[in-house]
Amino acid sequence: MNVIEIKNLTKTYGKARGISDVSFNVEQGEIFGFIGPNGAGKSTTIRTLLSLIYPTSGSATIFGKDCIQFAPEIKKEIGYLPSEIFYYDNMKVKDLLKYSASFYKKDCSKRMKELAKMMDLDLNKKIDDLSLGNKKKVGIVQGLLHEPKLIILDEPTSGLDPLMQQKFFELLEEENKKGATILFSSHILSEVQRLCNRVAIIKEGKIVTVEKISTLQENNYKKFKIETNSTLDKDYFQIDGVNKLDVHNNVTSFLFKGNINTVMKKIADIEIANLWIEEPDLEEIFIHYYEKEV
Amino acid sequence: MNIFLKELKSHRKSLIFWSIGVFLMVASGMTKYEAYSSSGQSINKLMADMPKSLRAVLGFNDLDLTKASGYYGMLFLYLVLMATIHAVMLGATIIAKEERDKTSEFLFVKPVSRSKVITAKLLVALTNIVIFNLATFVSSIILLGKYSDGEAVNGEIAILMAAMFILQVLFMVIGSAIAAVKKKPKTAASVATGILLLMYMLSIIIDLNEHIKGIRYLTPFKYFEAKNVMYGGGLEVSFVVISLILILSFLVITYVFYKKRDLNV
Repeated sequence: MNVIEIKNLTKTYGKARGISDVSFNVEQGEIFGFIGPNGAGKSTTIRTLLSLIYPTSGSATIFGKDCIQFAPEIKKEIGYLPSEIFYYDNMKVKDLLKYSASFYKKDCSKRMKELAKMMDLDLNKKIDDLSLGNKKKVGIVQGLLHEPKLIILDEPTSGLDPLMQQKFFELLEEENKKGATILFSSHILSEVQRLCNRVAIIKEGKIVTVEKISTLQENNYKKFKIETNSTLDKDYFQIDGVNKLDVHNNVTSFLFKGNINTVMKKIADIEIANLWIEEPDLEEIFIHYYEKEV
Repeated sequence: MNIFLKELKSHRKSLIFWSIGVFLMVASGMTKYEAYSSSGQSINKLMADMPKSLRAVLGFNDLDLTKASGYYGMLFLYLVLMATIHAVMLGATIIAKEERDKTSEFLFVKPVSRSKVITAKLLVALTNIVIFNLATFVSSIILLGKYSDGEAVNGEIAILMAAMFILQVLFMVIGSAIAAVKKKPKTAASVATGILLLMYMLSIIIDLNEHIKGIRYLTPFKYFEAKNVMYGGGLEVSFVVISLILILSFLVITYVFYKKRDLNV
């Protein structure tokens, strides 16, 4: 069953780019990564899902219901952590969390204390006085307080120290085990690699690919580096499946996806001095997706 | 209900200041009356010597300033100005501030519809306005009573306050409509106040020029003037009806536009 279904979602802001034709599904119980560089349209997509803004065309459903028409109903089961946290300044952390809890028909006081203890958050401080990281913690507690079935996180780790980040991820994994579905947007890849089952990669407002993390890491990508004795023709390796081809003096490097034999035959035909074949890390795969096509 | 209480609390301080302000306004006004009346000079005569335009600008056309109630009628114009500025700013800010303070990503992901949020906020604004009106009412009764010299003034004050209340509500929804329509929430309050001051200036221009009396429908400041309302004049039915229609229209604009537009996040 799909918790989120996004169909051809498009949002344009005048001339500025928003998102165009975004489609993907998030299945029940998975941790789904939503990856892209800054300004690619991650937040726009999420805000449209939450009906903070309305799509120019296309639609989305959450729990099988239209995300605009049934917005108040759907939101009972959504916890959201925005990328930038702003709260009513004149409130204590405790009061803000109580206010937040008052929107859900649940008693959250016990859970509030649990989460605050876990995240090492002082409930009696004024929100004004908190550092960026501590504000983020308030956001995390606030988002998880009512034990939502769908947790939407927009760049959740900025401002958290590594130790806190670790605790936060454990918390998320725990929630996930209890049955919560998580949509996790980020531009930091290591986070995604560790937590998520699947990812959607968004670039310039368009979805580039939706794949399992394991598939992305599978051996179908190879990093080749070839050193030759003489300068090689620039287009010698310009064949199907080659990406990021770079010829620098006698060194040629590229990423390859496809039948490995075709490359090996090409290599066998030339005089080489040295050869490296490596698995690329995720970072390189993503950079390949990130970079604008020339 | 939770939004209502939260908003009420966040406006408490400013409401207290405004209420103190209006008390001081009435107090200082009536102290001046005391100075005039005790000096033995006939203010009316003094005023009659003034050019008509100056009287119009100062707002004391056709009022008997020797009487405390007449003097209060002049003061009423300034009370209305103060009350409506409060109302228009409140109406605009209470809607716009979630976007201005970037708290809309908190409030509007909660399981409440935008309409319900607006309803709660407008009810808070209305409560504030009622309290401001009562504060003015009580201040006026206490202070004017001191100088009225046995003249029955409470009835006059009551009807003036009723007029002021209609104008307050009208300007509150003008403010909220502006905040709902405008995409830049930061400027909503200043635009709303600007429009109010333009209307006020228009009302003075109409005072100065009898020929353009026809356009008095354009500025609510001409709807219920002290000189017409006091001494048995009452509220003119046509203007009450116009006010109600305007209030309703601005309410509809507030709800429709705020529901349809993208929030500034």
